[in-house]
Amino acid sequence: MELLSVNGLCKHYDSFALRNVSFSLEEGYIMGFIGRNGAGKTTTLKSILNLVHPDAGEIRILGQPFAGNETACKQNLGVAFGGADYYPKRRLRDIAAVTRRFYPKWDDQAYLDYLKRFELDDAKRVEQLSAGMKVKFSLALALSHDARLLLLDEPTSGLDPISRDDLVELFQSLIETGERSILFSTHITSDLEKCADYITYIRDGQILASQEKDSLLEEYRLVKGPLALLAQADKTCLIGTKEHSFGFSALAKTADTARFPGAEISHATLEELMIYLDKEE
Amino acid sequence: MKNLLYKEFKLAKHPTMFLFLAFALMLLIPSYPYYVAFIYTCLAVFFVFLTGRETKDVVFTALLPVAKGDIVRARCVLVVLMELAQVLISVPFAILSVRINPNGCNPAGIEANVAFFGLVLGMYALFNLLFFPIFYRTAYNAGRALLISGLAVMLYIVVAEGLVLAVPLINAYLDTTAASAQLRQLPVLAAGGGLYVLATWAACRKSVRLFEKVDL
Repeated sequence: MELLSVNGLCKHYDSFALRNVSFSLEEGYIMGFIGRNGAGKTTTLKSILNLVHPDAGEIRILGQPFAGNETACKQNLGVAFGGADYYPKRRLRDIAAVTRRFYPKWDDQAYLDYLKRFELDDAKRVEQLSAGMKVKFSLALALSHDARLLLLDEPTSGLDPISRDDLVELFQSLIETGERSILFSTHITSDLEKCADYITYIRDGQILASQEKDSLLEEYRLVKGPLALLAQADKTCLIGTKEHSFGFSALAKTADTARFPGAEISHATLEELMIYLDKEE
Repeated sequence: MKNLLYKEFKLAKHPTMFLFLAFALMLLIPSYPYYVAFIYTCLAVFFVFLTGRETKDVVFTALLPVAKGDIVRARCVLVVLMELAQVLISVPFAILSVRINPNGCNPAGIEANVAFFGLVLGMYALFNLLFFPIFYRTAYNAGRALLISGLAVMLYIVVAEGLVLAVPLINAYLDTTAASAQLRQLPVLAAGGGLYVLATWAACRKSVRLFEKVDL
């Protein structure tokens, strides 16, 4: 079952536009949403939630159109936009007391467990939390009402490596039952290497790829070699070529790697994929 | 709606919402333009919106499972509760004021009588009609909303007080606390109440439509 479907999403601003953004997420998977700053990740997530009013496109949550069913759709969503940066003077327990009222499936025990897991003291005020703790509080609220789909914007940013690793493990355990899915945007692609099943890559408001992570990584190879090799090479097959005093490095389609005999060919990481693909206009 | 109102009182409240209710005591001042006691409610409303903007209240609320329009409706209900509370709390002080005023009347403006409360509701109607849509056009420009609606309210008071002072017929009808006149002033109260309901409903409806288009 598709937990999320985004179809033909468009939003025009003076200096930026989301153009025909489409992708979908089945239940039981983690999808990483990647792209450089300003590529349109947050605008897409906000459009899904109707925080931003799209010019065109349709959003479906659990098969139900979001437009006209906003309240019902949101019941199935757990949302965390970075850290909790609202109500700085309010105590965490007061914010939770309000939030729980909106969700019939709110689970107090789950909330308390997350507080304990994230070492959060709910007597504290939001302003007393560090950036990382604000992210954790925001996640605790998003995870405590048995949401089927989690939309998380930069959930691991600002966290230390141990907390990030813990969170990645938590995400994996959350989808184990096969009923939930997670869409999360991040710049920290190493987190996605560990846990994502799918990758949706957005560049300049357009989706460049939305597919299984392994198949995406399998499509490309990193090519490195001396400058002399680059001079003879068919440059049309190279993506985002970088030249330096020791030689060159670029990305190439796996099928094209045979064109570069003598070059050092290796698997690319998601980060390298982003860097080279983004460099290619 | 009940949950959203709970959120308004638990998280979005501002101390002046409650503190300014005490300004009902101003109605005991023997010689005073009594509208002032009610202008402070407009200021408290502004503080609620301003604080909401600074604490990112709208974004928090928009992430909850509520329709975007309900965020506006809940805020309108909160403002109505603030305004009606101010009016209701002021009534006993208005009654007491007539009995203990050493002047026997209010030389500084209209008496705090039945018609006055109708005129206050008319003033709130004007404030709501302007403040809500101006704010929700952007969902952040509380200053502009206060400036325009505040100036309109001031003008309303000047005109209302001016007419009571300058036109003998209106003065005789409105500026009295005589028991027999209170019943005759009921149409002014009813008109103020009717205007208040109509204007607040229209302002809320328009604000919902405007807020739908706002990108948060």
